[in-house]
Amino acid sequence: MTTTLENPTAKIPPSTHKYADIIHRLEAGGSMLPDTEENLMQIIGIYKAYAVPMDFYWRDLLYIAERVFLDPLPFFKYFLPQEYLDLPNHYAGATADFRVWQKGEASAHPELLEFMDRGELKKKLPKLFHHLWHDRINMEFAEACMQAMLWHQGMGGQFYDYLESEEYLANCDRAIKAYFKGNPLMLGLYKLFPEMFYEKVRELSYYANLGLFWEVMAPVFFEMSDLYDEGKFKSVPDAMDFLVNGIFIAAGRPIYHHVYIGDECYEIIPKSKGFMWLYEAALPYVEAVFYRTAPFRGTKSYNAQAHQVPDEQKDFHYGILYADVFPVGTAGIPPTLLMQDMLHFLPPYLLEYYQNYCRGEDDMLIQLGITFQRSMYNVTSAVIQALRTALLYPLDDPNPEHLLKNRQFFEAQMDRFLRPEARLTDIQSQDYR
Amino acid sequence: MLTPLLVIPLLGAIAIAILKPQFSRFLGGAFSLASLVWSLYLFSQFDLSLGGLQFSEFHRWIDPVGLNYSLGVDGLSLPLLALNSLLTLIALYTNRSNLERTRLHDSLILLINAGIAGALMAQNLLLFIIFYELELIPFYLLISIWGGEKRGYAATKFLLYTAVSGLLVLAGFLGATFLSQSPSFEFSDLQVQNLDLIPQLILLTTLLIGFGIKIPLVPLHTWMPDTYVEASPATTVLLGGIFAKLGTYGLLRFGLQLFPTAWQTVAPGLAIIGTVSVIYGAVSAIAQRDIKRMVAYSSIGHMGYILVAAAAGTELSVLGAIAQMVAHGLILALLFFLVGIVEKTTGTRDLGVLNGLMNPVRGLPLTSSLLILAGMASAGIPGLVGFAAEFIVFQGSFATFPIPTLLCIISSGLTAVYFVILINRTCFGKLDNDRAYYTRIGFSQQWPALVLTAIILYFGVQPNALLHWIEPTTNSLVVELHQPAIAQIATTNP
Amino acid sequence: MPNIVEIAVSNDAFKTLVTAVTVAGLGDALQQPGPFTVFAPNDDAFAKLLPGTVDTLVQNIPQLQRILKYHVVAGRYTTAELKEMDTVTSLEGSPIPIRCGDVFEVKNATVLAPDIEATNGIIHVIDTVILMG
Repeated sequence: MTTTLENPTAKIPPSTHKYADIIHRLEAGGSMLPDTEENLMQIIGIYKAYAVPMDFYWRDLLYIAERVFLDPLPFFKYFLPQEYLDLPNHYAGATADFRVWQKGEASAHPELLEFMDRGELKKKLPKLFHHLWHDRINMEFAEACMQAMLWHQGMGGQFYDYLESEEYLANCDRAIKAYFKGNPLMLGLYKLFPEMFYEKVRELSYYANLGLFWEVMAPVFFEMSDLYDEGKFKSVPDAMDFLVNGIFIAAGRPIYHHVYIGDECYEIIPKSKGFMWLYEAALPYVEAVFYRTAPFRGTKSYNAQAHQVPDEQKDFHYGILYADVFPVGTAGIPPTLLMQDMLHFLPPYLLEYYQNYCRGEDDMLIQLGITFQRSMYNVTSAVIQALRTALLYPLDDPNPEHLLKNRQFFEAQMDRFLRPEARLTDIQSQDYR
Repeated sequence: MLTPLLVIPLLGAIAIAILKPQFSRFLGGAFSLASLVWSLYLFSQFDLSLGGLQFSEFHRWIDPVGLNYSLGVDGLSLPLLALNSLLTLIALYTNRSNLERTRLHDSLILLINAGIAGALMAQNLLLFIIFYELELIPFYLLISIWGGEKRGYAATKFLLYTAVSGLLVLAGFLGATFLSQSPSFEFSDLQVQNLDLIPQLILLTTLLIGFGIKIPLVPLHTWMPDTYVEASPATTVLLGGIFAKLGTYGLLRFGLQLFPTAWQTVAPGLAIIGTVSVIYGAVSAIAQRDIKRMVAYSSIGHMGYILVAAAAGTELSVLGAIAQMVAHGLILALLFFLVGIVEKTTGTRDLGVLNGLMNPVRGLPLTSSLLILAGMASAGIPGLVGFAAEFIVFQGSFATFPIPTLLCIISSGLTAVYFVILINRTCFGKLDNDRAYYTRIGFSQQWPALVLTAIILYFGVQPNALLHWIEPTTNSLVVELHQPAIAQIATTNP
Repeated sequence: MPNIVEIAVSNDAFKTLVTAVTVAGLGDALQQPGPFTVFAPNDDAFAKLLPGTVDTLVQNIPQLQRILKYHVVAGRYTTAELKEMDTVTSLEGSPIPIRCGDVFEVKNATVLAPDIEATNGIIHVIDTVILMG
């Protein structure tokens, strides 16, 4: 008894939750992902591989939201102009607001530029051919994430309410009229079906939202990769704590939607609305993409009448934390698109690691998909710990009542993984690959 | 011309037995390929204008008994000879990881090749019996050594049934020869037609039961599912693909050709037995949980078509029957080959456990695709060889036996039912996360399936490439069948 | 009696808060008649925030205002009145859970000094910066 009393978590009785072990680990400042060297190596490697395409995603999301805007035939929306490749990241380079990525530049990542230039074919071909051959960054994945956020909405924050406000519609109206100036056809359509145009702009606002969210995550992941390479990360909780710090650094960054028409900037969602990265982007993103999303077409059939699909959107559970990664490789589904993107930028140690397991080269997409799932459990752990830091009490709080509050919070979070689809149990074992 | 088809595999078997085990597959492949090439060469020399036997060889052997070395082929046996060599090659290249005693295994397979080739070519009844019985021994050994869990039981059951089959056929042959007072056991010397109808019927029935076990027909089939399931994939390819065809071959050669009059008497009964087999096979297949057993039962059904077509005895239906023998041999071999891959890779044949093998990365996408194609071919989807053969069977039989034919057509719909069940459970759906760490299936393990698929597709699109070899023979077979009937009508008419 | 801003400025424990309010341009607003209830985090509370958080907020005034407004409630609520309530609605719009009884806690903050009266409202000093959510 006396020895256990010294342990701060022992001030309250042990949890009886199904995931009691994981809850105790979280209470000790750990992650949902077990702390092993193998896990650390995997997740850092995948963060790096994720960050490179993400560097493209955020730039292109902002490009579409700000420049392509309502183009009715946006054939070239995935063709990033130089201006957006050079767009300085606010968290990297000399001009950064807060230099998260110490060594990196603010413009597009060199590996990304090389890939955009030569592609998987390693041949210099006109951009259009790379595009049509699908030898490019799969922006469709980023759009799928955006759609998940758009479709679920109402996941906290004030963003969703604002999109329905008079003020927002007035801002849209000015931008739409300016954008289609001298285009009687589109202006006529706007007159007839204004709601359709508003809805389209709302979607574009989510493009901007997600772009601004990922602008932060890319340099965070790059820096984590650098720190790992320098041997500064010793454990999975180290990596998680870095993410928690990143979340707090960026928490207050504004979320906005500006549209550039000609030389003029139209503020659809001005920065002065006070929308914050944490509340209006990060938390809804985690909720929409990690937990909810929607079933992908072509992987599994669901019968809604048999209640195989939840009645309530909040009960949706098709995100990466619940995902069956094995269908990765099926043509066109968003996970395949992302894994394909990450495959191009895997660090050598991860490439070598995958060669040694399962079917080696042949099923690398699935192996890295499962690594990605592990890494996202770590990111989710960081979010859970960040929320605990922001809204609850320190892990070493002397007050047992506060510790109990923390316990309740952790248990409530773990309750979401009680449904059988959750992969929390799988990722506890290294054999799940 | 024909002796090489016996000598090549025998030499191969000896070479394999003598040389080092690591060469055995290569040697087996080379020798079976040589015999395949030789049978293809025979095709090029085959005279399409003749309906009767060609390339005949005759050597006196044991005169007092009437046993001669007498060989010959016609359009009935030639395609089966080629199929025999092809399936031997396929069987040798069927998945064999961890196969022990490869020398014995491969030489037995080549011995089977020789035995079946001999039976198909033999024009002396005793010679036929010798080959017919001889290949049981290698099969028995293959099942009892390399079979599954209950291999001892299955091998014994197999041997008992097929030995009885051989005895009955022998009894039928002896009876036919003695009763008709033929000078020898030469097929061409037999004059069974002169006998009364009753002894003819008795002899024919004996043969029917004998060959019926081999085919197998319901209710003589009970050895077959156990044997097919317990035998290794390579053995099953041979068993289902060509061994069972000896039964239908015997039926046509020694039943229909020797006893045309009696044949017409028993034909309606045969059609009913055939139809029962078709329906029984299909319905039983639907009820199976084991994919290999399912395919085995499907085989009972598809062999039933051959019997119905043979019973109908029109030019078209007999043509269909022979085409179906080839088609079914190809399709069944492909099915068993693929099921063998699935079993080897996943470690199970249970429909309740298998799922999602179409998964592009972790599943067996090529194997599954070919399995779907094989299922389609078996279900008689147009453009594949199964359709061509079954369509001719149905068209040829309908005029003679409309109701059995209709029932067969309906049952061919049931084929689609159980293959949809099989494919839906194994190939589609969600790959089980806990089990799905299957190893990769390389091209080297799959090419035999691709070869079979190519042939199935080719004959499906261009059935004439198969049929025109068979047609002259069926024409002459059927002429014999109808002559006595016409003669009878002529005599009874005042 | 001094108003809310004057109390804060005169107290050494609120240096960060005063700076933040000044940067955010909310000083004038808090001099209005109100009345307001302010949950005022002391300097130690700000120091507990993770590094970088404040930097970003100071660069982005509207966002800083939002956080600060979360600490302000319209109306004058003394401890006695808060005892009757579970939550109060902040000027930011989000609710603030209150536990007032044996302990006096505002969300995850503990009240260090309750009921500091001002002309245009009342101040409760808290030990943690409270955040929405």
